[in-house]
Amino acid sequence: MNERDARDGKLIQASGTFSPAAIEDIQVKAELGRYRIRGFGTLRERQWATFDDLTFIPCSLTRIPLEGYRERCSTKTVLGGKHVEKPIELDIPIMITGMSWGALSYNAKVALAKGADMVGSSNTTGDGGMLDAEREHSRHLIYEVLPSRYGIDVHHLRQADGIELTLGQGAKPGTGGLLLDAKILDDIARQRNLPTGVDQRSPARHPDFLGPDDMIIKIEELREATDWKVPIFVKMGATRVFDDVRLAAKAGADVIVVDGMEGGTGASAEICQEHTGIPTLAAVCEARAALEDIGMYGEVKLIIAGGIRHGVDAAKAMALGADAIYIGTAALMALNCNKPIHVEDYHALGTEPYHCHHCHTGRCPVGITTQDPDLMQRLDIEEGAERVANLLQAMTSEIQILARACGKADVHDLEPEDLRALNAEASMICGIPLAGTDRVWGNGPGWKERK
Amino acid sequence: MATVACDGQTVREINAEIKRLSAAGEKEITVTDPGARHNLGVAVLQDTRLRFEGSVGYYCAGMIDGPTVEVSGSAGWGLAESMKGGHVVVHGNAGNGAAAAIRGGTVVIHGDAAARLGVALKGGTVLVGGNSGYMAGFMGQQGKLIVCGNTGEAFADSMYETVCFVGGEIKELGNDAVVEEPDEEDRAFLSSTLETHLPGKSIDGFRKIVAGRKLWTFDKKERALWREAL
Repeated sequence: MNERDARDGKLIQASGTFSPAAIEDIQVKAELGRYRIRGFGTLRERQWATFDDLTFIPCSLTRIPLEGYRERCSTKTVLGGKHVEKPIELDIPIMITGMSWGALSYNAKVALAKGADMVGSSNTTGDGGMLDAEREHSRHLIYEVLPSRYGIDVHHLRQADGIELTLGQGAKPGTGGLLLDAKILDDIARQRNLPTGVDQRSPARHPDFLGPDDMIIKIEELREATDWKVPIFVKMGATRVFDDVRLAAKAGADVIVVDGMEGGTGASAEICQEHTGIPTLAAVCEARAALEDIGMYGEVKLIIAGGIRHGVDAAKAMALGADAIYIGTAALMALNCNKPIHVEDYHALGTEPYHCHHCHTGRCPVGITTQDPDLMQRLDIEEGAERVANLLQAMTSEIQILARACGKADVHDLEPEDLRALNAEASMICGIPLAGTDRVWGNGPGWKERK
Repeated sequence: MATVACDGQTVREINAEIKRLSAAGEKEITVTDPGARHNLGVAVLQDTRLRFEGSVGYYCAGMIDGPTVEVSGSAGWGLAESMKGGHVVVHGNAGNGAAAAIRGGTVVIHGDAAARLGVALKGGTVLVGGNSGYMAGFMGQQGKLIVCGNTGEAFADSMYETVCFVGGEIKELGNDAVVEEPDEEDRAFLSSTLETHLPGKSIDGFRKIVAGRKLWTFDKKERALWREAL
């Protein structure tokens, strides 16, 4: 029922169809003449099943927990494959996802690299190529090969510890990236071979392959270019995950990254962020089912991304089948994204701390999603790196405490049986019993395990 | 001069041998019977002359920086893709996405080039003696693209600063592509490039195609243009 109120003797009632937000949207587009563009990712209230709809069921009598201070719980994470001479060996299972220099400031990119390195994690380049400082400060650096090929450089590619062939992104699957004029200043324009000050669009398709058959050859090309030494990742936005993951695995990927609809972006059409892709919870379940279906679960590694906020989300994703987790937005929040400092600059953008999604404007009040030298200076690289490292460590310890409570000496041993669903939707998606029942539906990871 | 015989060898073995010879300072390598294998001569980084006697498959000379690569037959998809520097010459035809995303160097195709020639071009020069297929030059950022024959549809679509020249018919211009008359500097560039790589070709009748720059910012209200482009 709509809210009713009486003011000045008149009835005030918002339409359920043409809500104030819908009206505002129509009127903005009537001025713009195009779709709306913004950053951050979906802002919708989450009415779909999420990791919050699962709970861990730690040990009591049926299983024995581990002692937190005395018994080790390994977090070592190995990403490789049978073809790979040098697999990536990380100390923790939380990794920094690809975000471009351009979308992010130089200081943000270097702080992420340093922070990840401090705790034995990895960093990823992004659309725009590799920064020398990024390479210098990353023990483990993954080089993204995107459809745009902005900044593509064979010498950088050969310095990488892993290659990520990116097909799409969870926030905007099926579309290319955007980088608006305020961020295409001289350095970024030079790096991307673009005119200064344009609104840059990236293509949605790779320029030299189309489908999975071609991608088999493309992956082999990347192996030849790197002398078969490093793992090849294939990253996709979460859409037809069951089919896409099977195709990517069969095409020869060592690692598959599935990025759910809660994933972030520096800029995209708003409707893509709000109305495309499937949730991360559903994506991990489909991805695991896909790898099991072709007998490659465990052989091809699975990284899950998209709106992961803390170690609890990460632990649940790992229990459902992920080998490792990418974070992007959360890492930026460690760098002070949306922190209530420089509040007047949030107001200048028409927003507030904790509500800012104005990455696309290049006017980031905390110096992360900007190329403005004055704003960028607000992000101190060393302090930012320390906070990123702290977050990664905190998330890892959250995973460990849950794993130990569930009796696991390795965080990768978390399993669907360690979970129960809190509502019927999550139960059906994950194949995990609704708490208080022993019934399962669907074909999720838990169902397979119980079968 | 060294010879690498492909018969009975895997691509990995062939490329390892090419790289071993190049790194050892070999200046002329002939590769016999390539048999349209994929991924030959990928990421060669030395100033070596590499000649493939026959046709090659996908991604031949992909991601190279430095060598001169000659293919006596035809090439599959993604010829020289993402090349940073060097010279690639194909005496036959080239498949989809030839010279995609190259950043420098020269790619010369004596025959025809299929769809998406020179897509996302970031520098360098691409020269096709014959015709080109659909969407050549799409989203070209920098560099030069020359098609001596006819082009397919959507030619030079949504470009930034790539400059294209076409000697034959343009079946359809892409979004935001505009035709200009070549100026003196353009004619000198065309003349010298054709003389070097395709001697005997006349520059008469060549037209110049560049971006109209109407798609460069999102705030333009070119309704028909944006409907097609976005």
